Amino acid sequence: MSHSSPASSEISFVQHHDDGTFKKTVRKVTIILSVVTIIELLCGLAIFKLGHGSHMAVLMIKGLVTILSLAKAFYITSYFMHLGDEIRNFIMTIIVPLLLFVWFIAAFLIDGSSWRELKNTAAGSKPATEQVEKAVAPGDKK
Amino acid sequence: MSSAAIPAGTKWWSGGKSPFNLSYGKMMMWYFLMSDAFTFGAFLIAYGTTRFSANYWPDPNHVFDSAPFIHGGAPLVFVSIMTFILIVSSVTMVLAVHEGHNMNRKGVEKYMLWTILGGLAFLGCQAWEWTHLLTGDNPVLVNGEIVEMATTVKVNPWGEVVPGMMHNGHQVTTPGPVAFGGFFFGITGFHGFHVLSGVVINIIMYIKTRLGHFDQRGHYEMIEKAGLYWHFVDLVWVFVFLCFYLI
Amino acid sequence: MSELVLNPTVAHGAHETAHHDHHEQGFVSKYIFSMDHKTISKQFLITGIVWAIIGGLFSVFFRLQLGYPESTFPWLEDILGRWAEGGRIKQEFYYALVTMHGTVLVFFVLTAGLSGTFSNLLIPLQIGARDMASPMLNMLSYWFFFGASIVMISSLFIQTGPFSGGWTAYPPLSAVGDMSPGSKLGVDLWITAMALFVVSSLLGSLNYIATILNMRTKGMSMTRLPLTIWAFFFTAVLGVLSFPVLFSGFILLLFDRNLGTSFYLSEIYVQSTQTALPNEGGSAILYQHLFWFLGHPEVYIILLPAMGMASEIMSTNARKPIFGYMAMVGSMFAIAILAFLVWAHHMFVTGLNPFLGAFFVLLTLLIAVPSAIKVFNWLTTIWRGNIRFTPAMLFALGFVSLFISGGLTGIFLGNSALDIHLHDTYFVIAHFHIVMGVASFFGMFAGVYHWFPKMFGRFMNNTLGYIHFWGTLICAYVIFWPMHYEGLAGMPRRYYDYSQWQSFKQFGELNELITIAAIISFLLQLVFVFNFFYSIFKGRKMLVQNPWESNTLEWTTPINAGHGNWPGEIPEVHRWAYDYGKDGVDFIPQTEPVGKDESTHH
Repeated sequence: MSHSSPASSEISFVQHHDDGTFKKTVRKVTIILSVVTIIELLCGLAIFKLGHGSHMAVLMIKGLVTILSLAKAFYITSYFMHLGDEIRNFIMTIIVPLLLFVWFIAAFLIDGSSWRELKNTAAGSKPATEQVEKAVAPGDKK
Repeated sequence: MSSAAIPAGTKWWSGGKSPFNLSYGKMMMWYFLMSDAFTFGAFLIAYGTTRFSANYWPDPNHVFDSAPFIHGGAPLVFVSIMTFILIVSSVTMVLAVHEGHNMNRKGVEKYMLWTILGGLAFLGCQAWEWTHLLTGDNPVLVNGEIVEMATTVKVNPWGEVVPGMMHNGHQVTTPGPVAFGGFFFGITGFHGFHVLSGVVINIIMYIKTRLGHFDQRGHYEMIEKAGLYWHFVDLVWVFVFLCFYLI
Repeated sequence: MSELVLNPTVAHGAHETAHHDHHEQGFVSKYIFSMDHKTISKQFLITGIVWAIIGGLFSVFFRLQLGYPESTFPWLEDILGRWAEGGRIKQEFYYALVTMHGTVLVFFVLTAGLSGTFSNLLIPLQIGARDMASPMLNMLSYWFFFGASIVMISSLFIQTGPFSGGWTAYPPLSAVGDMSPGSKLGVDLWITAMALFVVSSLLGSLNYIATILNMRTKGMSMTRLPLTIWAFFFTAVLGVLSFPVLFSGFILLLFDRNLGTSFYLSEIYVQSTQTALPNEGGSAILYQHLFWFLGHPEVYIILLPAMGMASEIMSTNARKPIFGYMAMVGSMFAIAILAFLVWAHHMFVTGLNPFLGAFFVLLTLLIAVPSAIKVFNWLTTIWRGNIRFTPAMLFALGFVSLFISGGLTGIFLGNSALDIHLHDTYFVIAHFHIVMGVASFFGMFAGVYHWFPKMFGRFMNNTLGYIHFWGTLICAYVIFWPMHYEGLAGMPRRYYDYSQWQSFKQFGELNELITIAAIISFLLQLVFVFNFFYSIFKGRKMLVQNPWESNTLEWTTPINAGHGNWPGEIPEVHRWAYDYGKDGVDFIPQTEPVGKDESTHH
């Protein structure tokens, strides 16, 4: 079994991949991904049974599913894409920019729910007649 | 997979070599995928923002509850099949890359074929699902009349349930949020386009392997780069699956 | 890049390099589909210059309307046809002109023309590489840009005219074709051109990043890089992470336009066709979020290269080491991070949640810290230097001046409470034109004057350079300084004719003054363009390799270096780029080994 040569002159050394441990890792990761997906499906069905309301249990299951998906993403990048085998500094150049997603997601979603509140409270989506009725109603009682 | 192979005391940053021990091609592929992650991220975040701004959003378990030969009542079944297909094709891709490390041309060919097959199977499933949604008729109450409606980018039958009203054995609903179909077809379509281009890349790689190009070069790095792309497609699906089908 | 074999036949003089030598063998591969980073940089620069003339001319057209709203200019009809019937620019075309002016200058000139030119030219030369990591993708980067240019130009000549909804392309004007003539085919072409542009930018940026990380010559550690390279590096990172978000936004916009989706549209009634659109549930603000997630980093994509080049040029021409090298790098890093966190400060008047807005205010004001660090470092760099006032140095100094005066008004606008009052006034126009437009142009001019000898083997004319500098600096302030006043006095932006308004009539003469200055300024740029093209063929020849007595590696290459840059081995680097006036020696190039009794490094 011959090993490949470096793809270009910038590479200092070629990583050696041991056949035995490699096969074991692939098998392990495949099983983990499958099991996690099955758990996710069970969570999805649990949400189905509980109904899609926003009560605590459903929200918690949704949070759990999100965490499980992040775990899957970790296994895919780290083992299938071999990011885990790269030099630490390189891993950081991938992870650190992804942190931008925290503020990206937070700000967008906060503003999104703020639109909903605006729509529901202000003159936004409610028909004008309804507001008129409300405004008139107290006067009628007098 | 041993980081022990790194020579001690290597001055990674002093110039004349890659500080990450990576060829520029692989590095560019990684950073391209990073960029693409922001494309998909933006789509999914836009979807989330619109969903957060709506008072009502359809339950995916009602929308995606069919599979070939199963009409309704089977939430998540078909999409789990799709997910498994993609995971398996990712595994065969890992094996192809590994065979490339070992300079085993036959092995690369075999696993590349399996990967291509997995990609095509996934695309086939997606085609079925789209057809099912675009042609399915659902009774919707519009202006006091019942209208048969499919899920398209312009209309959405998955609104709130009208209590007690049935039509031909189906629950009647109000029209759902229009943006739902746009986001679903837009994002899964964009992902499907990535799968399609991944399949095309993989086919090219398979042909190049057959022709012995990589043996002549002395390395199978192109397979690795195609592999990175393919795994990324799988990775994106994890989040599409999460955002559209699970939560 | 060991596979890159030097071809002596390529290493000809740059006096032939310019173009139009049809008898040259291999003309196509040498000048058109060239993979040499130096040629590609010239392609970017010349395309950028053409675009700058077009974009600048557009501003002259609409300034004529603003300065002389009552007058007619029959010659305008000769040029623009029915868009200026009777010698007065039509309202729809006024908005098309403003839109194209913004798009062209922000993206095609100050992004592709600036970063494309100088990243391509300087990255391989200053880090000691034979070419970019992937010359092929580099070439494609230019040709995607060229394709984008063709599509954008073609939109000027269609029946319904170019897109007219503003360079930010907010829906519904950009999403609903019936809104105005400029919302029809022009938008589709605009989006297509921009999509091609994003691809070009991505290919370029990935290449810059990979080259800077992987291709540095021996001894060129990251902390020995000239600040130009750091600036291009952060610029590329910003581009790679922010342009895709814009791309997503554009795709959704295309769907809304052509497939009837409702991403950005909700409950809209179109006056011109008297119809209510069926779209429901979307939000135009969502587009604004996506747009500004790119839009704000874009400001720094434009500004950072100018900062890097100004640093390098000021250090060289002040004959002093750059003050606070690590602080400069650190502040650029801080700017790059903050650039991603502050986008919604462009959206304070959209009804943004005030609680969320407060965080954006805080993050925005934080940018003042690294910006101030940079300004003080530039000032301390020239402090007590032996300044050589070359045109390049003057433009670098002008850059700092403009960056300060434009940056200070940014502090006003970063506060949501003030911004709500100033946002739709000329104050904003003044602010961003000075800090992002003119300042970056000054950085670009500094770069062109400074590296012109490296590009073409000849010098540009100094006298014309001085006229260009002083004229442009004065005009820039005469144009934009009064706009602050107009804005504070409440004059709104985006209006076609202020003479119709009792409240704004009083600014008529001021607007006239601004228009005159704008026209003079445009003519002065033509002086530069003449100087540029004349000097390519007839400029004073460069006789020494290192005319500015600079430390960086590009000046160790032959005067007209061929593909591969160094005829022999790539030089090794032994020190940082800023050993000026060290131990009584005027300058010590980076290739010079550290002497035995040399004082220790900065």
